[in-house]
This record gives sequence, structure tokens and C-alpha cells, in this order.
Amino acid sequence: MNVLISLRSEILKTKRTAALYFTLIGAAPIPAIFLLNVLTGGGDLTAIRKDPLNTIFELGAERNGLVFFPMFVILVCTLLPQIEYRNNTWKQVFASPQTKGAVFLAKFLNINLLILLFLVANLVFLSMAVVVMHFFNPALDLLGQPFNATRLVVLTANAYITMLALCTFQFWLGLRFRNFIILTAVGFALWFTGMIMALEFKSKLVDFFPYSFQVFPFMSSLQPKMTQVAWTSAGYAALFLLLGFLDFRSRKLTA
Amino acid sequence: MSTNAIIKTTNLSYQYSKGVQTLFDINLNVEKGSIYGFLGPNGSGKTTTLSLILGLLNKQKGDIEIFGQHLHANRVSILKKVGSLIETPSLYGHLTARENLEVYRQVYGASKERVEEVLGVVGLSDTGKKVAKKFSLGMKQRLSIALALLPNPELLILDEPSNGLDPAGIIELRELIKTLNKKYGMTILISSHLLGEVEKMVSHIGIIFKGKMLFQGQLSELHSFQRKGSKLLINTSDNEADIQLLEEYNPEREEDKLSVSYHDQKQVAAIQKTLYQNNLEVYLLHPKANDLEQLFIDLTSVQS
Repeated sequence: MNVLISLRSEILKTKRTAALYFTLIGAAPIPAIFLLNVLTGGGDLTAIRKDPLNTIFELGAERNGLVFFPMFVILVCTLLPQIEYRNNTWKQVFASPQTKGAVFLAKFLNINLLILLFLVANLVFLSMAVVVMHFFNPALDLLGQPFNATRLVVLTANAYITMLALCTFQFWLGLRFRNFIILTAVGFALWFTGMIMALEFKSKLVDFFPYSFQVFPFMSSLQPKMTQVAWTSAGYAALFLLLGFLDFRSRKLTA
Repeated sequence: MSTNAIIKTTNLSYQYSKGVQTLFDINLNVEKGSIYGFLGPNGSGKTTTLSLILGLLNKQKGDIEIFGQHLHANRVSILKKVGSLIETPSLYGHLTARENLEVYRQVYGASKERVEEVLGVVGLSDTGKKVAKKFSLGMKQRLSIALALLPNPELLILDEPSNGLDPAGIIELRELIKTLNKKYGMTILISSHLLGEVEKMVSHIGIIFKGKMLFQGQLSELHSFQRKGSKLLINTSDNEADIQLLEEYNPEREEDKLSVSYHDQKQVAAIQKTLYQNNLEVYLLHPKANDLEQLFIDLTSVQS
């Protein structure tokens, strides 16, 4: 109950923030690029000839999951805790009748709500793109194609769970440090490292490096390890959350 | 120690880093229904004390009781009845006045009507969709006070609330604080580094300097303390003779003048008569400025 009240408070703070706008805007580029590519007869038209509807959603999830989703998670996990730093409101938060545990959990849940909103928004925009494609290219008959919803849900759930470790680590950093630019730079640098380790070096360390986990659902050579990585990501998330909370609880608000 | 205490700290001490003690055995006692002025120069430990009372800093040594309950064990239930403003306004710049209050409304268990009520009390009912970052400093300060009033608190803690306010704003704030105390029976703890600013509204005063309490009591006690310390500056044609004539008044040399202690106006007349009767030419007979502000400076400078 206390956490729900604190969560309401956190959601209200998000109103009119860059994080909220970024959630909606950040989910749009992949569906938009996809749509333009198909409408202008780009390479995707060939790629989706066979099983076009499911291929569109799979390609959309892959491109989103490898690029825009990690970028979004790094930014939103760092941006949201900055609301208190930027407005100098930490003292008011801690002087209000909320436990530190409730505040910490509410902030984390709020970020996760935005992440889920991003994933849903991405699917909605992709669906809208499909409808437009259907009318501009009736030969594809997209709306008459079979649709594998289970596959899409699994892909989306995998994208979410592999991002949990990265999300909790960035969240901890966002709460811990005031400097948004450094935190974002650290996040992006680690993300690039994780991508290069997975795609270029084919390193075995990717099994344990949280900033590489987002590649697993979409890279056929890594897909067999998906379940193991999902558990590793959840384990890291629990560990980072615990460490983050202990750090948060002991913080000193200097006068 | 009064049993009527809303806030009671016992030997409260604090250090930010090892070897640098900020507070030394602070025994603060704020009585129910009082307006307690917590005074001290900048850096004397006021905000640290208030931060400890609000649980913003973890207690290291000593004890804090609020409403008769230990703060550490009952923090959330205590804070439900406490409104606070610590130093600068703590507001979300991207939200309107109403939205800022809405963020904390359910946290304090306040009703929607209460939001309108407190906006009315601080005169911000008509700010509409204007976001807080576009408010003047005075408006931000008033919105912060509205936030502090949101839980209809039994105890209001205001840390330097008049910072940045213009004279009209300071008078308005003073009247508001008096009204909250009289009309709603709120106990108010207000900190300031300016005695003149709070002496017109407080009933009790605590003076802190370099982390130590120098004085604590009713305002009338401070006045009586002030009267006891009144000085008269004297300069005559023979100041050495004055020292012998006015021995009972504890004369002290002050550059080319003398200063003597007195308690009331009749003593001033008696001193003047003595000098006259001994054929001394009186060039100066002047009560030394010794209002509360001077006393505050004296109290804090004696210790430095």
C-alpha cells in the first residue's frame, strides 16, 4: 500500500518530463524507418516476402532490441532519478512520511512502467505501420496473414528480461550520482563494449556482461543460451537492486 | 524539562566527518503551542539540527523525541504530522502549483479539498497552468509553505523561510506564521540567522553558535537577560574620578570613555546626579545600543 502511494507520487512527477516524451518518441523511429523502407521499395520488401506479417514484427523487435531499446533504457534509468537532483527535492522526499524502501522501490517500478510503455508503444507504432503498408502495398495482404502472437510476446519478454541487469545498474548510478552526462556516457560506453564483444569479438564473456545480454534474443548463435542469460540478468538485477538500496539507505543529505 | 514538549532532543551530537564535530550535546525543547525561534549565525548548526529532527541525517549520538515518541522507531508516523521547509524551496519546476501538492497529497493522506485550502492560505489559488519554475522566488517560497501545510501539521519546521523574500514578503510570512499558531494551534519551529526577523513573532528562543546552545528559553527571559546587560557610556572632564565615584556600577574603560552597568532609568538619573554634584563636566551620557540584536551579537561574539 505504501509502495503504491509512493508509486503514484513518482508517476505524477514524470508528467511533462523529457523521460515521458522520450518514451513515446523513442519507440517511433524503428516502425517509421520500416514503413518508409517498405513504401520506397527498400531492402525490407524482399526480406518480408515470406510470412510478411510475422517477419515485420520480428525484424522490428530485433532492430529495436539491439539499438533503440538499450539506448532508451540507459537514458530513462539515468534521467528519472535526476528529477530530484535537478529540482533539489531529495530533502522534501526524505522529510515526507515514506520509508526509504518505498521510495526506492517506487522509483524503480516507475522506470519499469516506462520501459513497458516503450515496448507497448513500439508494438502499437509497428501495428500502425503494418496497416499503412497493407493499404499502400495490397499485394502483401498483410492484414490477411497468419499472426504468431506467442512468438511476439516471447521476443518482447526476452528483450525486457535481458535488459533488467543493465537497467538496475544504471538506476543505481542514476540515484547515486548527480552528473547526468557522465552517467549517460558511462552507460553508452559499456553498451558499445557489450555490442562489440558480442558481434565482433564473439567473446565468451558476453554470458556474464550485462551490457551484452540484449543481443541474445536476436542472435541465432546465442539463442540457445537465452534461458541461462535470462536468469543471469535477473540475478544481476536482484544483486544491483540490493546494493543500490543499501547505498540509498545510508545516503547522507548534507545541509 | 517540560512534559509538554513537542520536540525534545537529549545530548544530540553530530559530526559530518571524523574529527570535525558540528553539534555538541544539543538539548532542544520546543513546547506545544509555541513559536520557537532557532537562531544562530550561518554555519552554526541550525540546518544540521533540523535535518536530524526530520530524519534527513542519521542520528549518531543523543536522542530525539517528537510528540513523545522516539524519532528513529516511529519516523513515518511522526512525519505524517510534521510539515517542513528546509532551506531552499523543494519544488518540481515542470509541474504547476496544484500538481506539486498533488505529488504529496496521498503521501500525507490529505484530501483534494485540502490542496485548494492551502493554496488559498498562501494566496496561490489563481496560478492556473503556470509551472513552478516560472514562479518568482516569493511565490516558490509560498508554495513550499503550502506543501508544508498540506498534512495540516501539528508541528511546522521552517528553516530560514524568509531567505530571498522582499520586506513585504517577510511581513506577510510573519503574519501567516502568527495566524497558523493562533488559529490552528500549530507548534512552529523556525530557524533564522537574524534575530530582528523572528523576535516579532516568537514566544521562545534558542540560540546556537558553533554547534553549542548558548541560550534557550522564553522571549521574556531573553529580554530580562538583555536588561541585565544594559550599559551606559560616559565621558566627563575627569574619567578617572568617575571610576571611583561610580564604583558600584562596575565601570570599565572603553577607549576614551567609560561604560557602566545599569538596570533601569532611575539609575541613569542617579549617575547623572552624582557626576553633577561632584562638579564634573558631562560630555557624554549615552545608553549603549543593547537591543536583542546587539545581545545576539554579544552572545555569539563572546564565544568566538
